[in-house]
Amino acid sequence: MKLRNAFLIAAVAPLLVLTGCASTPAVEISDPWVRASDYSDHVGGMTGVFFEVKNNSSETITLVGGSAEIAGKVEIHEIVMSGGEMVMQQKDGGISIEPGQTHVLEMGGDHVMLMDLNKAIVAGDVLSVTLDFEGAEDVTLTDLVAKPSDGGDETYHEEDHNH
Amino acid sequence: MVSRRGFLASSAAAAASAAAGLGVGAAAATQVANDQAQTSTAKRFLKFEGPHQVGIETPIQAVTNMVTFDLLPGTTLSDMQRWMFLLTDDIRRMANGEPVLADPAPELAIGAARFSAYVGFGPSMFRKLGIENRMPEGLIDLPAFSIDDLKDEFSGGDVLIHVAADDPVVLSHGVRNLVRDSLPFATVRWNQAGFSHTPGMVPEGVTHRNLMGQVDGTANPALDSDDFDEVVWIKDGPQWIQGGTLLVFRRIAMQLDTWDQLSSVGKGEVIGRTLKEGAPLTGSKESDLPDFEARSAVGLKVIPEFAHIRRASDSGQGERIFRRPFSYEMPISKAGSMDVGLLWCAYQRNIEKQYLPMQLRLAELDLLNRWTLPIGSATFAIPRGVTGDEVIAEGLFS
Repeated sequence: MKLRNAFLIAAVAPLLVLTGCASTPAVEISDPWVRASDYSDHVGGMTGVFFEVKNNSSETITLVGGSAEIAGKVEIHEIVMSGGEMVMQQKDGGISIEPGQTHVLEMGGDHVMLMDLNKAIVAGDVLSVTLDFEGAEDVTLTDLVAKPSDGGDETYHEEDHNH
Repeated sequence: MVSRRGFLASSAAAAASAAAGLGVGAAAATQVANDQAQTSTAKRFLKFEGPHQVGIETPIQAVTNMVTFDLLPGTTLSDMQRWMFLLTDDIRRMANGEPVLADPAPELAIGAARFSAYVGFGPSMFRKLGIENRMPEGLIDLPAFSIDDLKDEFSGGDVLIHVAADDPVVLSHGVRNLVRDSLPFATVRWNQAGFSHTPGMVPEGVTHRNLMGQVDGTANPALDSDDFDEVVWIKDGPQWIQGGTLLVFRRIAMQLDTWDQLSSVGKGEVIGRTLKEGAPLTGSKESDLPDFEARSAVGLKVIPEFAHIRRASDSGQGERIFRRPFSYEMPISKAGSMDVGLLWCAYQRNIEKQYLPMQLRLAELDLLNRWTLPIGSATFAIPRGVTGDEVIAEGLFS
């Protein structure tokens, strides 16, 4: 079984930074996970992917989208206040991260949305998602862990996502 | 007017400049040492990886919570693998004092405080999953003992997660994370919380006391000894259980009201040891071996026939166990009775050969039974520990 590679990468990456090793990734992803819930446990469902992303390069990078074998569509989403309600919507232009900065994708905030799932995602599943960046190489998160979670006031409306 | 904050800041500044005059190095070093000492519990951690799951061959922690689960109907072997994968990662992170992945309260992960959690499987789990043939040798459902008054809400369970730490907040946060990651697979059957001494109360290796006042665990094999390996850790069978052990859990209520009516001499005769020193009635210190043949001047056995340690002692057939009991305390009754007892945990390689014959002797005759009442009971197989990329119970559910 080799389910822990994602964690190993996350754990090793900071060491590389400390030792100034040339192989420091330009884009550093830590603690990635995907939410397993009632929204994701069926074909046609959807769910969010969350992580911290650090820009180690000297240029601004932008997370603009992604792809995954398990999802028909992968989009970058944000949560905004609209008419006194928290509304989730596609984030225009993606998420830009300045050199040296870290951006947190979390429940109730910015996140990557896997939509039109062609297979259920349930707790303890491990999957692979590729993140598309402008200004940097794409990053593939292998061994992305599905965790049960109800935090962040995160409710999805499936009909809202047919845009 | 000087605000309180401003006052504090300026006095701190004054103290700092005074320290600068007097030699700031020493003052700063003292401060660092004080801070270190004050957070020493947070910094202590137990190594997660190794041949055995953690929380058994470990000096007892201050607080514990045992949580059992019943599998959701239709749970499959593949579900079990995914559950164990999540638990393994959670326990590994919290043993290091880190939040778990997707932790809703990462700010509570302020230190390891010797956090441990191990996972065990009851005979009912093997039956529900249709893998009775994978039950380790010596794992049995205990027979009904005449002395028992077992309650369903304290007994049984398909899967056990036994969590412990030296800090109650760390424990609570840990249990919350492990329960959340278990709910897609199972429902909570029961949980039982308990405690022992706070670290720093007794020197390491000194036997702790239960709420009847007895030293509890004198005859235990010493931690990190060959004797411990011999009594506790399973050496053969399928790989997932090699380095594992079998747990007998008993919730034992103490009748303190009537126990406290006994004299200290009377209590000593019931146990076969003095309360104060924990020495056998035939010796002068706890480590003295009891002499079960010794007789008094009038010819009576010094350690009575009904004494607990006589009835519990090994008959020479390897009937030894490792006990690691926590105490519990429930609300006091209106009449003022304390509802206390033990979350009594005993570890061994084979329940049938080690615990069972001993318990049959105790059920038949042990004066201590008058003041102790088993009200909960369960048995579990505890898989071996993990290293590298391994998942708890790897191999069992494939």
